[in-house]
Amino acid sequence: MRLARELGLVFASLALAFGVGALVAQLSGLSPSAVYRELVRGAFGDQYRFFQTLTQATPIIFTSLSFLIAFRAGLFNIGAEGQLYMGAFFGAWAGFTFVLPPYLHTVVALLVGALVGAVWGFIPGWLRARRGTNEFVSTMMLSYVAIYFTSWLVSPRGPYHGTQWANQTVRILSSAELPRFVRGMQLHWGLAIAGLLSLLLWYFLFRTPRGYEMRAVGQNPRAAQYAGIDVPRTMILALTLAGALAGLGGAAEVLGTHRRFIEFFSPGYGWDGIAGGLIARAHPLAVIPAAILIGALRAGGMGMDRAGVAPADFASVLQGIVIFFVVAPELFRLFRRIRRERRVLVHSQP
Amino acid sequence: MSILSLDLFLSALRLATPIAFVALGETFSELSGVINVGVEGTALAGALVTAIVAYFTGSPTLALLSALAAGAFLGLLHAAWAVYLRADHVVSGVAINLLVTGGALFSTRILWGWRGTSPSAATMNPWIFVGLCVLLVGLAQIYIFRTPWGLRLRVVGEHPHAADTAGINVNRIRLLYTVLNGVLCGLAGSFLFNNLGRFTDGMVGGRGFIGIAAMVVGNYRPLPSLAAAYFFGLVDALQMRLQAYIPSQFSIILPYLLTVVVLAGFLGRANVPKALGKPYLKEGR
Repeated sequence: MRLARELGLVFASLALAFGVGALVAQLSGLSPSAVYRELVRGAFGDQYRFFQTLTQATPIIFTSLSFLIAFRAGLFNIGAEGQLYMGAFFGAWAGFTFVLPPYLHTVVALLVGALVGAVWGFIPGWLRARRGTNEFVSTMMLSYVAIYFTSWLVSPRGPYHGTQWANQTVRILSSAELPRFVRGMQLHWGLAIAGLLSLLLWYFLFRTPRGYEMRAVGQNPRAAQYAGIDVPRTMILALTLAGALAGLGGAAEVLGTHRRFIEFFSPGYGWDGIAGGLIARAHPLAVIPAAILIGALRAGGMGMDRAGVAPADFASVLQGIVIFFVVAPELFRLFRRIRRERRVLVHSQP
Repeated sequence: MSILSLDLFLSALRLATPIAFVALGETFSELSGVINVGVEGTALAGALVTAIVAYFTGSPTLALLSALAAGAFLGLLHAAWAVYLRADHVVSGVAINLLVTGGALFSTRILWGWRGTSPSAATMNPWIFVGLCVLLVGLAQIYIFRTPWGLRLRVVGEHPHAADTAGINVNRIRLLYTVLNGVLCGLAGSFLFNNLGRFTDGMVGGRGFIGIAAMVVGNYRPLPSLAAAYFFGLVDALQMRLQAYIPSQFSIILPYLLTVVVLAGFLGRANVPKALGKPYLKEGR
């Protein structure tokens, strides 16, 4: 019943958002029907395109989980982008520095990425818990720091400038590669890891005492404190895990898709994670379809651009509109009330 | 050339101005109880609208007014969601940021065929904004702490039930000051365009968030927040001059890192409005 209501709410929000999106397209002089046709074709048209959608969705699952776990603890991690960059660079670094047998090397590189991401989440977590620093300001600021720091590492004056023609590291060793599902397609095992993590996170949040504590802190920190929960420690844990998840996503992206760290490689996966977590209404399992939806907007947006019907960025506008409608459940309650009042009005007419 | 010069302080004054506008706007809305993280996107929208109107009409004044209107619209949107639809304040603000970022890339592509940048267009003297900022901050300091309207504003954020009992429409006051916040962010964005002469999608570059940080450091008071904004502006101005000596990435990082350090070192959160971020329900649920 509750699930049905939540699903209904999300689908109604999506329908409303796509309606407003059509209006925006019309006002911008684009053809809404062509835009949506190419969007769907670009995202789901054939196996290759669908795999592209899933490839785009993979890092978004990680960053959505990252946003979600902090959100469940009542905190805002809007710096997943920076944590992703830290994980990506250090994952790649472990991938071209260590010499290890295949698979083990991949696992170690992924863990290094997660660890560095965790550090990048721990700092704002500690600052929030011990110094009361706004975590949405500090995660955002540290995100810029991470993006430019990793850019320096691979710049011509930095220590890991790997190739002459671009600011990127050398290629990771083949032993560190995250295998791909099909030859010639970028889709890699990171997707499976992301799916597994969604399950794990669900179990953690809803089936373990620590997860329960986290949700309790998110719902009412003062009550949680009275109940004997260590609120500061829980906050630190939540943001550290958030950083680890985003860092792992960055490492998986590098080891599976690009096979090296490239400066500014992310088209905004960290930001997509906020959208993903919100569309999933902060449920770890719902993150998978939510991330696929955003991946489809990204892949479909590119298809739309190639077909010449609209700039790819129309998909970002659409995503923004979707979030607005998804985050205001009261909106639909309002609609219902207006409908009811109108019905009363109609019936009371003589 | 020495790093410390009159020139440095002049550019610090300019770079501090958008931060100070945002800090002032956020002070108003947070004192009424509304957090708006969408200031970053609202400022970007102000810059974008200024660029579009200045380019197509050639009138910097009309461009400025349009930016203020765009800011007011986004403030209205945020108020509708945060105050009336009771969405989480931070979430609604983040949604504004994402929407404007996407919208900026989209509309520059549609209008000029460039992703995220505009051609140059007619500007007005940015020093007008610098002066206006000081004037507005001074007036706001008096308004908030020395007038009955300012008292009403603070009561709404501090104790909405008491305000309601005294016959103040809590939600309308919150709507009003959230819109005012939007207008001030639009002003910040308009300054950024007039300062540079064209639009780029990275031109706000975290200054909205730094504005919030300046407000926190200024402890929800306009004048101290202005001082904090000048500090951040000075750091920004220094950063640009340091690029000649250290890798540019490190100097770009400097203001962001210092913002975190300053916020972390700052512990006087005495003035946080008690009802901040909480929706007001008459029934007192």
